Amino acid sequence: MNKRFKIILLQLLTPIVAILFAVVLSSVLIVAIGKSPIEVYQTMIEFSLGRADSVGAILFNATPLIFSGLAVALSFKVGLFNIGVEGQYFIGAFFAAFVGFTFTGLPAFIHLPLAILAAMVGGVLWAFVPIYLKVRRGVHEVISTIMLNYIAYSLIHYLIADLFMDRNQKVPEGLGSPLIRTPHFAESALMPKLHGFLSFFGIDLPNYVYLNWFFVIGLLLAVGMYYLLWHTPFGYEIRAVGSNPKASEAAGISPNKIYFKGFLLSGAIAGLIGLSHLLSFYGYMDLDFPKNFGFNGIAVALMGNNNPFGIVLAALLFGFLNRGAEGVQTFMGVPMETIVIMQGIIILSVVVAANILGRYVKRLEKKEA
Amino acid sequence: MEKVLELKGITKRFPGLVANDNISFDALRGEVHALVGENGAGKSTLMKIITGLYQPDEGEMFLKGEKVKINGPRDAIAKGIGMVHQHFMLINRFNVVQNIILGYENSPGGVIDFDKAKKKVEELCELYDFKLDLNAQVGDLSVGHQQRVEILKVLYRGAEILILDEPTAVLTPQEVKELFVNLRKLKQEGKTILFISHKLDEVLEISDRITVLRRGKVIGTVKASETSKKQLAEMMVGRPVLFRLEKPIVKTGDVILEVRNLKVKGSIDRHQLNNLSLSIRAGEIYGIAGVEGNGQRELVEAIMGLLPYDGGEILIKGKSNKGLDTRAIRETGVGYIPEDRHQRGLVLPMTVWENMVLGLERKPEYSRWWKLFRDKIKSLTSKKVEEFDIRLGSIELAIRNLSGGNQQKVILARELSYEPDLIIAAQPVRGLDIGAIEFVHKKLIEARNNGKAVLLISADLEEVLSLSDRVGIMYNGEIVKEFVPGELELEEIGQYMLGAHKEVGVG
Repeated sequence: MNKRFKIILLQLLTPIVAILFAVVLSSVLIVAIGKSPIEVYQTMIEFSLGRADSVGAILFNATPLIFSGLAVALSFKVGLFNIGVEGQYFIGAFFAAFVGFTFTGLPAFIHLPLAILAAMVGGVLWAFVPIYLKVRRGVHEVISTIMLNYIAYSLIHYLIADLFMDRNQKVPEGLGSPLIRTPHFAESALMPKLHGFLSFFGIDLPNYVYLNWFFVIGLLLAVGMYYLLWHTPFGYEIRAVGSNPKASEAAGISPNKIYFKGFLLSGAIAGLIGLSHLLSFYGYMDLDFPKNFGFNGIAVALMGNNNPFGIVLAALLFGFLNRGAEGVQTFMGVPMETIVIMQGIIILSVVVAANILGRYVKRLEKKEA
Repeated sequence: MEKVLELKGITKRFPGLVANDNISFDALRGEVHALVGENGAGKSTLMKIITGLYQPDEGEMFLKGEKVKINGPRDAIAKGIGMVHQHFMLINRFNVVQNIILGYENSPGGVIDFDKAKKKVEELCELYDFKLDLNAQVGDLSVGHQQRVEILKVLYRGAEILILDEPTAVLTPQEVKELFVNLRKLKQEGKTILFISHKLDEVLEISDRITVLRRGKVIGTVKASETSKKQLAEMMVGRPVLFRLEKPIVKTGDVILEVRNLKVKGSIDRHQLNNLSLSIRAGEIYGIAGVEGNGQRELVEAIMGLLPYDGGEILIKGKSNKGLDTRAIRETGVGYIPEDRHQRGLVLPMTVWENMVLGLERKPEYSRWWKLFRDKIKSLTSKKVEEFDIRLGSIELAIRNLSGGNQQKVILARELSYEPDLIIAAQPVRGLDIGAIEFVHKKLIEARNNGKAVLLISADLEEVLSLSDRVGIMYNGEIVKEFVPGELELEEIGQYMLGAHKEVGVG
């Protein structure tokens, strides 16, 4: 029992040690560009954690990463590598946008859920192609999903810039050209902010922070995924197939069926990634709609060790670093790229540390057996 | 006689384990010295120390009375110690001579003198009575001949001491005989042979002396002429072992499994099945003998719905399994012990209790769609752990931490837990030690006594003969002969296994 406790403690400590190691390593970089690491870190922490608007921004930054981390992790769990999360969230976002600007006059309690559902359908559709090709034709999902990401970018570009571009924009005479974007969504399709709820607890967020209920949905989804994986027969089958498809097959679990369901579910979650931005910050979809949440999700899932709660923590860390990067750029003149490099170092350290820990735990378990 | 190899007080520790504990023994010139012991007794660690893959923590090693330190396999062979591995290290597309000189080509000026090499190999063949076509591609040779190539390889490099690791595991009875003729000749010519095996009959036949290891310690060294199988087994296990399995006469019942004219087309990774027919009744163990890779795996996978078949039918309790998936087939009452437990039988990173319900997780006792009854499964597992005497620290541990025997017991417990009428047992004791083998065999016989039908597939002829009520010999995708154990001499069985005899229309 003592050993179990030791293992849990180590699992908690490892990422912290890895992050500290990364901080030390990054200091070298900061010194190299002629700044004081201590001041930089101090600014980062004070700016990120010392102000309510920063904390709100961190949570807002973390929201899409929670969804994308969960989407990637689910595909990892089933033994597949869904690099297509990127494309799936783009398509999902467009589906939601379509519902957002097409319907008017719907009550919010129908319109918003409909938009969310549409996003999931979009993600599922985009995930369907690669998993169908894999199960039926043996096409490797990494290749097909990468291709589909590019197709998704271009398709969305076409849809926004041509088919569904808002041609009724009022551009003041002689003051530039209309924006390339979809029409604005109806108010009823927008996700309410968390501000009102938080003000009950005496936390007042300024209006320029867009933290909304998708953050809470993300947290609930993490809990739901944990329950799914560890407490339902379907989750059990996902883990079994993910770890050993041949043994699962011999025991009567059809790997193809599980691949299919698991991958589509991953796509459905992926469809939700962009909504926190789309249905609150933007209110329309344009060519500047943020990219790369899908790819960052891979890093988040990796750092979170594919554990739903680990993913939430990793997403928060990324949110913190992004916010901190804005801070040190503004107040210290440290380029944001420094923080991007630091993110990379942290990911590497955590992954390496997790690996070392994994081996050590295996050895501890062996002794117990 | 001269002591060629002597070990004194060899100790090797790994974290949490003493693999070799103060081991001393010696081997004489012109002697076959067998090393026997259960899995984990320390045989392979000792071999790795002798061939320089490991350095001992304590102890000394002497070659011809001289103290030596061996720095790796290359150094070992330079000092005259050669290892013949259980799994051959040969290149199929090379011919015999090319394989033998590989890694040892004497090539002044970058040109290999094949003629010279071939001449040397021919001389060796003549000296030791090896019959071998030196121009043949190794891939075309039988397993027995491939083994000769392996032995020639170490002789070519000048080995005085040959270590043979489980050399008979892959051979038919004839090939074993031929190997023993070769080994006796080698012995006559003054070579020393360390023979590692757990087949006690063979050990008694070929060895001069036998050293028994148990839990890293030498239990004793005995002369083969002065010991018995029973005594050896007792030394290995530490308690008396039953060899004759109690097998009461059981009245057989209905036909449970019927395979009629089963056909599977061959391909790169699958062997063909050719009109294979067999039937098994309740209360019967049907054993399949045959050299591995003659379609046994395909037969099993076709029965389990893991491999589609091209013709014929498979009836389980009178119903065809065509179009049913593996789960449906299992639910008609089939338990399956796969031949490769790590690949097919278990999900190694998952816990013991999770493995206990692999494939059964949808049964109403264990789950609803929205909830896995974890507590129930755990208490079931604890019960089975006790019933099957599975040794483990905790059922929450990943199953990879268990020993092979305990892993196999988990599979057995799982597959027998739903009282299947048909049990497919493919190589059920491969890699297990005597205690676990005894246990698995007992359980299979118990199932048979309770009116189950058992299909037993094993590469170990002795196992098939001692367990089965009827035996079918499989060769090249067919059952070439069916018999009741005792009807045929080993010699004859071996001929059928090699396809020398063929009877048409069996089954």
